[in-house]
Amino acid sequence: MLLEVKDIHVHYGKIAALHGVSLEVDEGEIVTLIGANGAGKTTTLKTISGLRPLSRGKIMFDGADISRVAGHKRVLSGIGQAPEGRGIFPGMTVTENLMMGCYARKGDVSRDLAQVFELFPRLAERKDQAGGTMSGGEQQMLAIGRALMTNPRVLLLDEPSMGLAPKLIQQIFSIIQEINRRGTTVLLVEQNAQQALQVAHRAYVIETGEIVKSAEASALLDDPEVRAAYLGGGADRPVGGSEPEQAAGAPEEPRDG
Amino acid sequence: MSNSTGVSARGKGRAGFGSAFPVAYERARRRAGARRAPLNLLLLPLLYVTETFGAINETFHEWWIRQPGWSRWTVYILLIVGGVLLPSEQVASFMSPETDWATLLFFPIGGYVLLAIGLNVVVGQAGLLDLGYVAFFAIGGYTMAVFGTKYGWSFWEILLVGLVLSALSGVVLGAPTLRLRGDYLAIVTLGFGEIVRITANNTEYIGGPNGIGGIPHPPSLSEWAFPDAFPFNLVGLEGVQPLSYGTLSAHSYYYLMLATIVAVIIFAKRLERSRVGRAWAAVREDEDAAELMGVPTFKFKLAAFAIGAAIGGAVGVVYASQAISIIPNNFPFILSATILAAVVMGGSGNIPGVMVGAFLVAWIPERIRFFGEYRVLIFGAVLVALMVFRPEGILPSRQRKAELEEGTGGMGSMGAEVAGPTADAEAGR
Repeated sequence: MLLEVKDIHVHYGKIAALHGVSLEVDEGEIVTLIGANGAGKTTTLKTISGLRPLSRGKIMFDGADISRVAGHKRVLSGIGQAPEGRGIFPGMTVTENLMMGCYARKGDVSRDLAQVFELFPRLAERKDQAGGTMSGGEQQMLAIGRALMTNPRVLLLDEPSMGLAPKLIQQIFSIIQEINRRGTTVLLVEQNAQQALQVAHRAYVIETGEIVKSAEASALLDDPEVRAAYLGGGADRPVGGSEPEQAAGAPEEPRDG
Repeated sequence: MSNSTGVSARGKGRAGFGSAFPVAYERARRRAGARRAPLNLLLLPLLYVTETFGAINETFHEWWIRQPGWSRWTVYILLIVGGVLLPSEQVASFMSPETDWATLLFFPIGGYVLLAIGLNVVVGQAGLLDLGYVAFFAIGGYTMAVFGTKYGWSFWEILLVGLVLSALSGVVLGAPTLRLRGDYLAIVTLGFGEIVRITANNTEYIGGPNGIGGIPHPPSLSEWAFPDAFPFNLVGLEGVQPLSYGTLSAHSYYYLMLATIVAVIIFAKRLERSRVGRAWAAVREDEDAAELMGVPTFKFKLAAFAIGAAIGGAVGVVYASQAISIIPNNFPFILSATILAAVVMGGSGNIPGVMVGAFLVAWIPERIRFFGEYRVLIFGAVLVALMVFRPEGILPSRQRKAELEEGTGGMGSMGAEVAGPTADAEAGR
């Protein structure tokens, strides 16, 4: 296993955001973590990348326990993240943003830069533009490109489809597949379950801070509960409309008081 | 796709200075257009003036960064020569008809400028809102006073000690508090500023509310005087001894401050362009993203605090060496606020900008002394007007401007992290 999350608990103050999340990501996979607003997806990613301390449990990366390693050191061992809300440096140009990605490592990075520009020709066109003045889609590309510049072994993506037009979402997801084909493992957090399940190999469903389901992505696409809760069951119900109620139709789903 | 005004103006800037005017007119019209009917007509000419100023500033910057090294150095040297000749009688008659110009240039003007450059490292570069900056100024001042009167150390030794002590106090303040963000950090630093002043007020060893008197002057380096020749005789500086520190020799203290300012600018500028500067910019613009890029954010925030504190401490040492006596009330909260105002008003993150800002907040109240008790009111009105018409500061750095347009980054965002229920935590209920 490249990345193993073992029963992690995370608290904001006294309130538990995650109680016992476990998941595994194997080398070369695309794994997705789907769930509604506030289910704990972002917290899980932040804990893996070290932005949030965990109160219990363990995170193993490449066989080593990294639970207590500082966030900026996890980058060097190969965990790259495109954060929630993209986290672009607005005052820096596109190139400067990308160069921040290799801040912590030494050596020649021109090849990595060329590769990112090849993957995102749009960024090459705008390389001297300030990050803050770009459109949402471009910023998302920049966030992913910047994470790639850290030369990650596993790429953590936090809702890359958020706030983007459907056509752009398609494009972003096909790029994610391309990145994976080139050998980077991807852990993808998404509310857009439909898209995420189509590109992923395996998937986890998170609800109120716990993993409630895990299976092959294709199997979840056909799962009646997942369809009802996250895929609109074929009708146009909003994806992940309201948090606890949506699971009401699924009595065996674990719930906490 | 979206294209900001800053970017388009930058593109046009290459065409020459003439293009600054239509750009400014366009921007002024857009900003005035956002207001209601009678107001927009009133605002338009004013906005046109300020936007023209802004556009010229951008065009100048565009031109400036394309100049070769030697011509930039020529300008730097000319600026230093200008600084040396600044306390001239001719300039004084306009700048300061009522107070001694050289004294004014030393403090508040020189002192504020240096404090602003120091605070700019913390606020402008690392984006940490520090409302207690005066504490480090006080620590520097008291270091000079204590070591000078009780131990008889010389100024140059104490300057080193002052730098170390104030940097250390920056670390002591920063280590436990820099995990806070935005307005929480601001409140803690505000408290620190008050703690230092009140502690000084209540500590017998350092004189309590009476402070410390009889602080020695720096030893004179040389009795050499400016000769009665060009250019000194032109500006009435002949016979001034720039390196001899007596009680009445205001000029020499100004030159001491000037030398410190030049040294600090070189240091700060080198930092800004280094890896440290890039890390600060990243922390300021998005701290979490910076950490994800492998920037040890906490370490760099602490470094910003320590360096800013050391600069503040240096001002304190220099100030106390001239002042002979200091009391806790020399270091009130309002001084922190004034320096912060200078940084924000001048253009946070841009050294020439914060220097202009500091100069204005130090000089305007002195220049308008003839208004008597109304001068503070008028000073306030000037500050408000400046912030209305140039919210990004008089000479903003381009990067900071882009951050402000985005509405994130640095002090503006107040991105406090609350240990309490958030969207993610809601799930746990």
